[in-house]
Amino acid sequence: MSILESQEGGNAPSPRSFAIAHQRPKSSFVGCSRITDYEVLGKLGEGTFGEVHRARSKKTGALVALKKIIMHNEKDGFPITALREIKLLKLLSHKNILRLEDMAVEHPARSTDKRKRPIMYMVTPYMDHDLSGLLDNPSVHFTVPQIKCYMLQLLEGLKYLHANHILHRDMKAANLLINNKGILQIADFGLARHYDGEVPKPGKGGGEGRRDYTSLVVTRWYRPPELLLHLKRYTTAIDMWGVGCVFGEMLVGKPILAGESDGHQLEIIFELCGSPTDENMPGWRSLPGAEAIHPRPRPETISQRFGSHGPVAVSLLRELLKLDWRSRINAIDALQHPYFRTAPYPAQPGELPSFEESHELDRRKFHDRRAALPPAPKGGTVGRGPHDGSNAGFGGGGGDGFGSRNGVNGGRYPRNSRDPPPADGRVPAWHRDRGLPPRPPPPIDYPLDHPDGYRDRGGRPPRGGGGGRQDVDTYIPSYDRDAPRRRRDDRDDRRHDWDRPRRPDFDERARASRTRSRSRSPIVRDRERDRDRDRDRDRDMYRR
Amino acid sequence: MSHMTNPLATPEQLFQRRSFGALPLELQDAIFFAAQCLTQAAGILLQLPQSITAQANVLLARYWLVEPLMAHEFSDVSAAAMYLTAKLSASPRSPRDVCNVYAYLVSPASTFFHPLHQPLAAAAAENNPPKYCLSESQYQSFHARLLAIEARVFYALSFNTHVALPHPLAVTYLQALDFLNMPKETIAKRALAYLNAAVLSPQMLYCTSQPNALAVAAIYNAARDVGAKMPECEWWEVFDVDREELGFLVVGMRSIEGWGRKIRGEEEPIKGWKGKGMLTRRMVQEELRRRGIEEVGEEGDDVEADMARRLDERMAELEGGS
Repeated sequence: MSILESQEGGNAPSPRSFAIAHQRPKSSFVGCSRITDYEVLGKLGEGTFGEVHRARSKKTGALVALKKIIMHNEKDGFPITALREIKLLKLLSHKNILRLEDMAVEHPARSTDKRKRPIMYMVTPYMDHDLSGLLDNPSVHFTVPQIKCYMLQLLEGLKYLHANHILHRDMKAANLLINNKGILQIADFGLARHYDGEVPKPGKGGGEGRRDYTSLVVTRWYRPPELLLHLKRYTTAIDMWGVGCVFGEMLVGKPILAGESDGHQLEIIFELCGSPTDENMPGWRSLPGAEAIHPRPRPETISQRFGSHGPVAVSLLRELLKLDWRSRINAIDALQHPYFRTAPYPAQPGELPSFEESHELDRRKFHDRRAALPPAPKGGTVGRGPHDGSNAGFGGGGGDGFGSRNGVNGGRYPRNSRDPPPADGRVPAWHRDRGLPPRPPPPIDYPLDHPDGYRDRGGRPPRGGGGGRQDVDTYIPSYDRDAPRRRRDDRDDRRHDWDRPRRPDFDERARASRTRSRSRSPIVRDRERDRDRDRDRDRDMYRR
Repeated sequence: MSHMTNPLATPEQLFQRRSFGALPLELQDAIFFAAQCLTQAAGILLQLPQSITAQANVLLARYWLVEPLMAHEFSDVSAAAMYLTAKLSASPRSPRDVCNVYAYLVSPASTFFHPLHQPLAAAAAENNPPKYCLSESQYQSFHARLLAIEARVFYALSFNTHVALPHPLAVTYLQALDFLNMPKETIAKRALAYLNAAVLSPQMLYCTSQPNALAVAAIYNAARDVGAKMPECEWWEVFDVDREELGFLVVGMRSIEGWGRKIRGEEEPIKGWKGKGMLTRRMVQEELRRRGIEEVGEEGDDVEADMARRLDERMAELEGGS
């Protein structure tokens, strides 16, 4: 083996040495990092896949997000969905794709711990916002150059994915992360898979599918009509429909196709794009899901609904929201669309309006800090993020609406969880004052299952004004003790946040359980989790 | 995208492997070789294509760069590598299938590493199902071990489960070289045979060289075997391989056959292995006891001398061969 070493020493500038200089870092072969390499700053969210924590790398000082991979003691070992996501992310390298920086392992504490297996975390860069949460913020208004800038980045990322034979299959605003430098990154590859068909070519739309996949993918509001009609031989065009939905969402500030069931989703799609005919959706009648439906003839209404954003925007939206998946525009062509070549021109990521952004950032950071609160001391209440407070606020008001809203389209992080879009305006009054604590903290021994979400404040150490940052930044969850961890795990009613919406089965059962998950009873929550687990397993089957 | 490259072993890892524990080098090599052969055999019985089996071989080699050989039963580690590779591929295999196949392969009923000169009729008469049919509790314990080692492997590899195999590259390179004016199958088959054999090499060629170098070396060897005329110029440079690495790989690949025969033949590294099927940890432990080695050996000094000696042997072989 000393041959190798001698080669390392005498590097002539050869193609090989170039290759060596550009190959994967050798450090990638030394096993996973330890969780102790990261200073955990607090929880960001919780989903079916696992919790998400914010943390700081002790090596580089960079802020990262730690996504915990839940092991259900499955009989098939390490979850295949997580493996696929990890493998894909490790192969990808693009500025508009969320990077998997590391895998971190947390070994269970010695004997006292019942959990025998170590816990794995995926380490990605920390991104300040997700698009869903950003759009939801009443103080953020996207300018046209800003929308164009995000769209360009989204399309660049998608072009790269599709060129590399990858279907994302969960395109939606909540999976698009944005940092304060104006960079947008596509995240959450839990449903992604290798695409067997031909990659998109300029001017050829999505092309023809080559083989069947499961049609139980994509969050409903972003699901294209061909999937709703159970086309199995689909193409990269399914992701482009999602781009169209996100585009429209950025234009109007709320999801444009918020269907309440799969049937209703089709209804409102036809309402917007016109009913399917042999011209605008050739072959739609032969799709398995088309037998039962008889849509009444309707004209397309895109220009009516989006006309105020200009004819070029309407033109791009029309291309993205084409019913015919074969001629729906692909990412390569969309990047060349006149929309990006007409004034006002797209902004550069670095020159996005800093005033609004920084304002937004401060608010976010504040929210993060509160989200990162440690669990309350023993006997006190469980520390909950303030977002729960606001959620509970409108949960009480909206009830069912909230549950269904989040069941389908929860934000990536709980702080960003969006409200049910009211029928008329996009900023409900009760939402506006979700900033600083609008109410005095309740007493310490506030009952745990009080319907009011602000109960968490009881366990929080008092702090003045905007200060109190220290108590959070130095907080390191004690991973070694079982009790506090279980407590945090119990708070299952926040599972809607991280990636629940990726579930393919958004049936009524899921919706119903989502609504019920607002229940404050821990027992119900536990049952809830079991059911989630079952559903998780079901879902894994679909992903094959 | 790093589709085309593999993470390689660092010199430290290779060195550390050579000084792991008390295991003498020839024992390590025998274990490695036996486990890789077992993985190949299991791949065939599981009806997996070589593109998946070979990946399992590479992952197994990577794993043993990081974790000591004696930590788990060798066949279990092979099974875990096979299982997780298949799981990640388009043709997953159930734990039950993997269990059945490995139970058969390590049982005396299989022909794996058993002398073939045993009359086939006798072997068939002995074909006694209970010998390789596991009870439910045996299956459960195998299953538990499988998953535990699977997690170990993922952890040790830091989830770098992607393996770039040189086989497709070799075909592409051959096309670029116009198959060196030989019948396509003849030379391509020979080149792929070299690549498949290289998987078994205890030199861990797949962990020390990138796929392009392996492909070029295999083509070079195949061309020499079938008497094809290679370009006069330094054609390997076109494929980003330099002469030194090519030389090393060519010798490495050529030496596998002779080495494999030797280790299975007269010069047994382990007494009583011959005809006993898959190498087990117990056999290795007995061998260690027989040699009077108990715990971590103090042969750290010999390692380098030994490496030098082996290197010299290889060089001599190279000169002799060319």
